[in-house]
Amino acid sequence: MTISLAVPDILVARAKSGDLEALEALYRAFETPVYNLALRVLRRPEDAEDVLQETFLEVVRNIKQYRGEGHLWGWIRQIATSKALMRIRHDKVRETDELHEESAVGAGVSGVAAAGAMGGAAGMSPGAVPARIDLERAFEQLSETSRAVVWLHDVEGYTHEEIAEQMGKTVSFSKSQLARAHVRLRRMLDEGVSR
Amino acid sequence: MMHCTMDDLLALRAGEGSAWAREHAAGCAVCRAELEALYQRVAQLKALPARRPARDRWPVVRDAVLAERRLRRGRWGLSGLAAAAALAGLLVFRPFWSNPIDAAELARVKQQSATLEQQLQRYDPDARVTSGRSAALAAVLEDSIAVIDGELAQLGPIRAQARPADLVTLWQQRVDLMEQLVSVHVTRAAYVGL
Repeated sequence: MTISLAVPDILVARAKSGDLEALEALYRAFETPVYNLALRVLRRPEDAEDVLQETFLEVVRNIKQYRGEGHLWGWIRQIATSKALMRIRHDKVRETDELHEESAVGAGVSGVAAAGAMGGAAGMSPGAVPARIDLERAFEQLSETSRAVVWLHDVEGYTHEEIAEQMGKTVSFSKSQLARAHVRLRRMLDEGVSR
Repeated sequence: MMHCTMDDLLALRAGEGSAWAREHAAGCAVCRAELEALYQRVAQLKALPARRPARDRWPVVRDAVLAERRLRRGRWGLSGLAAAAALAGLLVFRPFWSNPIDAAELARVKQQSATLEQQLQRYDPDARVTSGRSAALAAVLEDSIAVIDGELAQLGPIRAQARPADLVTLWQQRVDLMEQLVSVHVTRAAYVGL
C-alpha cells in the first residue's frame, strides 16, 4: 500500500481557519490510509467506516491544535488508532474470540522453528510463505487485539512502548501478543488457512 | 536440538536478539529459514492492497461540523441575546405582570431549560461522535431551538406587549426540544458505552 501522504502547508493553514473545502481536501488525502488502518484492525468494513468518520470529526474539531510538529499523517494516525482501539475495548462480544485464541495458541510461542522443521500440513518448507491472499485471510482470523498489535508494530511502525501506551497495557503484553500472533499466523499458513 | 522461539526471532528482527539466539541462528538453517519467513510475512502484510470505503463519509462529517457551528452561533448569539432580553424584561416589567402564576411558571421553565443546558454539556456533544442519523436529528433539534431563541430575542423590544403566558409557551417549547436533544445524546452515549 503506497500512498502519498504529503499535503501542502497552505492547505493545512486553510483547514485550521475552518475552510470546508480545505478540510474536505484533507479528508480525501487521508481517507484511504485511515480506513485501511481501521479495516485491518477491526476487519468489518462498517466498523472501519465508523472509525473513519469518528477520526475526521475529531480532526476537523481539533485541527487548530495540530502545531505542525511531525507529519500530519502521524497526528491523524494517532487519532485513528485511538478510535479503533477504543472500539475494540468497548466491543465486549468479541472478547470470546480472544479467549478462544488464547487457549488455541497455548504454549505455541516456544519451539516455533522445531515445529516448522517437522513441516506443515501443506508440506511446505519452513521458509516458504504462501500466496498473499492466504496471509490476508490468516491475518483476518487473528483476534482484534492481535491484529491491532501486528498491524501497528509491523506495518505502521509503532514501537512496543507506543502500542502499550495506546492500549493501556504493558510492553511485555504487546511483545507477547506479537509473538503469539506470528506463531498463529505461521501455523494457519502451514495448514492452508483452513480453520 | 533447541531452536529459536518466536520471541527470539522477533528480537533478532528488531536487532535485539540475545547472544545465544544470534549465534544459534547464524549456524542453524531451520531458524534462518524461520527468520526469513518472518521477514517475508511482514513484507507481505505491508504490501496488502489498499481498500476504499464503500460509502463516502465526508457528507456526514461536514453536516455534523456545520450543525455544530450553527449550534455555537445559536448558543452564543441568539441565546445570549434572548437571555439578556428576558432578564431586562424581568427587571423592568416585573411589577406590571398581573398574574403571579405566569411569572412563577416562567421562572420554572427557564430554570428547567438551564438545567437541560447543563445536562447537555455533561454529554459534551461537541467532543463526541454521533452516527449520521443522530447527527442529523440533533441538527434539526438545534435549528428549532435556535428559531425559538430568535423569537425570544425578538420579544425583547416589544416586551411591553408580550404577556408572560406567551413567554412561558416559548420557553416551554424550548424545554421540550432541549429534552429531545438530551435524549438523542443520552441514547447515543448508552449505545457507544461512553
